[in-house]
Amino acid sequence: MLRRRFFIIEALTAVGLIAAPFVLPHLGFSPTTMNRILVWGLFGIGFDILFGFTGLLSFGQSALFGTGGFVAAYLLTRMDFSSVIGALIIGTIAATVVGFFVGLIALRRTGIYFAMITVAIAEVFYFVEFNPLSEYTGGENGLPGVPTPSLNLGITTIEFNSDWSLYVFMAFWYFVGIVIGLRIVRSPVGAILSAIRDNPLRASAVGHNIHAYKLTAFVIAAAYAGFAGGLLGVLQAFMPPDAFTFETSGQLVMQTAIGGAGTLFGPLVGATVWLYLSDFFQTTLHLGATWKLVLGVVFVVLVCFLRRGIIGGLKDLGLWLAGRRWRGSPAEDAPAPVEVPRLASVGPSRRRNEKPFLGPALEARGLTKRFGGLIANRDINFSVGQGELRGIIGPNGAGKSTFFKMLTCEMRPTSGRIFFHGRDITDVKVARVCQLGLTKSYQVNQLFSRLTPRQNIVIAALAERRGTFSLDLLRRIDRVPGLDTQVEATLAMVSLTARADVPVVELAYGEKRRLEIGLALATSPSLLLLDEPLAGMSPHERKETVLLLKNIARGRTLVVVEHDMDAIFELAERITVLHEGAILAEGTPAEIQRNSLVQEAYLGGMAAA
Amino acid sequence: MVNWPNFISQLFNGLVLGALLALISSGLTIIYGTLGVLNLAHGAMFMLGGYAGWVAYTYTGSFIVALVAGSLFVMLVGVVMERVIIRHFYARPHEDQLLVTFGLGIVFVETVRFFFGSLSQSVPAPPPLVGITPLGFMFYPTYRLALLGIVIVALIVLYLVLYRTRIGMIVRAGIEDSAMVDALGIDVYKVFMLVFGIGAMAAGFAGIVNAPVVSIAPDVGEAILVQTFVVVVIGGVGSFPGAVLGGLIAGEIISITSMFNPGYSYVMLFVAMTLVLVLRPYGLLGTAGRE
Amino acid sequence: MSALLEVDRINSYYGDSHILFDVSLRVERNEVVALLGRNGAGKTTTLNTLMGFVRPQSGTILLDGTPTQNLRPHAIAQLGLQLVPESRRIFGSLSVEENIVLAGLSAKSRWPLDRVWSTFPRLRERRRSRGSNLSGGEQQMLAIARALVREPKILLLDEPFEGLAPIIVRDLLATCRTLAEAGQTIMIVEQNVTAALSLADRAYILNNGHIIDALPAQALREHPETLRGHLGV
Repeated sequence: MLRRRFFIIEALTAVGLIAAPFVLPHLGFSPTTMNRILVWGLFGIGFDILFGFTGLLSFGQSALFGTGGFVAAYLLTRMDFSSVIGALIIGTIAATVVGFFVGLIALRRTGIYFAMITVAIAEVFYFVEFNPLSEYTGGENGLPGVPTPSLNLGITTIEFNSDWSLYVFMAFWYFVGIVIGLRIVRSPVGAILSAIRDNPLRASAVGHNIHAYKLTAFVIAAAYAGFAGGLLGVLQAFMPPDAFTFETSGQLVMQTAIGGAGTLFGPLVGATVWLYLSDFFQTTLHLGATWKLVLGVVFVVLVCFLRRGIIGGLKDLGLWLAGRRWRGSPAEDAPAPVEVPRLASVGPSRRRNEKPFLGPALEARGLTKRFGGLIANRDINFSVGQGELRGIIGPNGAGKSTFFKMLTCEMRPTSGRIFFHGRDITDVKVARVCQLGLTKSYQVNQLFSRLTPRQNIVIAALAERRGTFSLDLLRRIDRVPGLDTQVEATLAMVSLTARADVPVVELAYGEKRRLEIGLALATSPSLLLLDEPLAGMSPHERKETVLLLKNIARGRTLVVVEHDMDAIFELAERITVLHEGAILAEGTPAEIQRNSLVQEAYLGGMAAA
Repeated sequence: MVNWPNFISQLFNGLVLGALLALISSGLTIIYGTLGVLNLAHGAMFMLGGYAGWVAYTYTGSFIVALVAGSLFVMLVGVVMERVIIRHFYARPHEDQLLVTFGLGIVFVETVRFFFGSLSQSVPAPPPLVGITPLGFMFYPTYRLALLGIVIVALIVLYLVLYRTRIGMIVRAGIEDSAMVDALGIDVYKVFMLVFGIGAMAAGFAGIVNAPVVSIAPDVGEAILVQTFVVVVIGGVGSFPGAVLGGLIAGEIISITSMFNPGYSYVMLFVAMTLVLVLRPYGLLGTAGRE
Repeated sequence: MSALLEVDRINSYYGDSHILFDVSLRVERNEVVALLGRNGAGKTTTLNTLMGFVRPQSGTILLDGTPTQNLRPHAIAQLGLQLVPESRRIFGSLSVEENIVLAGLSAKSRWPLDRVWSTFPRLRERRRSRGSNLSGGEQQMLAIARALVREPKILLLDEPFEGLAPIIVRDLLATCRTLAEAGQTIMIVEQNVTAALSLADRAYILNNGHIIDALPAQALREHPETLRGHLGV
């Protein structure tokens, strides 16, 4: 929704912001409430990018909110800083810098640990604000006397000192915030953040430095928090110490979840519900503090049943009313028609900075892996020539998956080294190895399941086009040079062009397997490692996939682990047989078939009975 | 110069606080270890315990009854919570689990606030334990000594249950591989319910015994939650010994830092947590694989 | 009299990866049945489906007449099926004895500890050791002992001899033979075909998720070349 209809959302937002002062007061909203909603809404844009888009649930945003707010308020009240806008910006910068360092610590872990660490961070900041730094922050009294902003236009000065003029000020900055937020979300960085939330393993494996992107999201959230904090001080003419409380972080989380995470506008909707209900309960119903209980119950109910918040619920309702026209999937009716890959559409692999290397494409020397006392791989010497199609087979327990994981740099060997085009990659990380041209496709599909095939390939192609990390936050994703060509060529190679815009969940299994291979192809590998590409396929799908692999093999080196003997013997030029952690035999398919040691290994004749 | 009696007294306070944190964190860590759910309502369980115990004490005048009734009440809350709500979240992403336990925590706190108001309520220590006890070189509040004893006994009981009973054996096996426990004929959902109840009860019990020391209020759980998290990060998620060790470390850090400057106690806790994160990412006694 | 285990056209998936295609098989009382096939064929998936770890999308499983395809593992265990998984999955943080006692807790009838010790003397020596400190062979013994304690009607063995030294395989095989002769019904999945066939009465052959053949073990022992096409290269 956010990506396709450009500028309609921005226009609608502007219209809404302009119309609000004329409509909402009749519904019981005071200007102060509306201004507060805008502050929380702005605070939430950054948080939504962190949580809704990147999937990082932080309970520590109050730390940055307070930092930005207090730096701005301090400048304005204790240091006679003259420009309110300037102070707000400095406060934001302070919050951004602090956010960077906090992010470095918090992002060392993921998931539950990350949440716990952010809770601790919130509390620490609160206590520091309250005690050691109380002479700067006013301790439990906060910083009173924050002035209202004014804009000097030369001929006249606009003072934003009434409720409604403050609204204009706030609404302006909210609009700016939304425009920037939408830009970020529509940028390559935004797409990658969503991919990280969906499948961080694969995002890294296609070549993105996911840690750097997560830190970016964290810093963005900190910037928004800092600015919103400053606005709070201006709004209340006073910077309150409870900006730093854990409760503030909690309120932000709840509002975002209530409104709908991952929509950018969710926090605004959530804040509207929250603040309106709190007003309503306290002034109209005179129920005092009960409103928070009601909101808590509403929140729990929403999390249980309306998983994507109010906006999500409205979207679902809209879809349901529209009769779900576009939901019918061809895959449910008949098996997908056989599309023999068109040979002409295969492009040769592209690599930047390619110095021609004449040795083997991939070489392992003395590769050994020990797990405690167990030796999974023993002193393996392995070499694949450029452009070769090598198969790896072996009975169960042979150590194939361990070997494969070491080749793709997902696991460190105990000893031994791996060379890719002559370059030692033993200690190189997965994302970087992918950038060098060595990529893997997985036995169990590792797709970005919330996206369409086209969007999946885009993620991989973005790494190929932009390297492991690029901070192009404000670029439109369709303005990345060469991206479209790369994406369309890859889709064609795996025969998914016709189904490119169907959500992944609706694809047939064979189509998903093709997308799996497509993701690896989109990184323009010169060496492709395929882990059981035929796993779980029907006989019909196997034939298709074998053809596809033959096609892909042109101009590339392929190493395939497989159990389907017919397929591997048809495909491979040479076969390596692993047994009990070491190489048992190597040769052409015919040689391997004639090799009695190999037969015995498979039939278990080696063990005494 | 260091004020020695003061220092020893603070060491003792650290021990008391540490033992309390160890107990509460054990509850959190076995819930996480077995179910894989981080219970953000754990602080609320602590708070509920305090209130349940106080209500029971007000009605019966018996500290023992208050302890038992209060603990059972919180255990019941935990069991119902797991059965009715948490169970439906095992297949859902971690973030959803965090959100729902967070929300439940808020609901519990606000419900208590609705019935009892926001002001803190002081809870009297039971008569035989009021006053101070001479300990040779210093005097120490009698109740706190008793508290230390009670909590240590509770920790020992928890240890014995975990390591010497059949139920404990099932729980420990469940922490390691709950699917396999199910395959051995034990309905693992029932185990989950029990573990959640025990974990909640640990927090609730701590809340009751601690009530005379810090008074009860709807918001007491929040600080406890944060401290518990730090303990679990330091000690290692899913590890009972880790919770005990982490608890003692945290308790002493808070206590000793308070001697110099109370405002810095949290900072020091955070520094300790960061150090552990950098040097031993899985906690002092934790194992890799639990995220 | 109907078979002890009747599996009728089950289709199992991992996610939407279709692993088992209309798999049907049966196991009679007191029989030893081998399930052979290359890895990736779906042997482990078959056992996991029988034990309830994977719910089949279609088809039925009858254990002594009771349908089990929709039951959770603990209910299936209570009905008399017990799995020794491929990765053994013993509880490393519990002692050997605790592992065994735990297994028997919910069983209606169980082996007394002495019987476990006399069947597996090695385990008696190590009864207080932590599971994680046992060798591979000892862990395998413990996994089998744990399953036997519950006196299962059918014992499912998933690659019990994998990764073990030949001499240990020989010992384990002897133990299994004794159990089979005493009447224990067993289904064994094993890549070591020679070992499997020395135990089994009948064998099914699984290829790419399809049952393609069912033969008496005697026939396969006498004509091993039948297997070469399915299992070899």
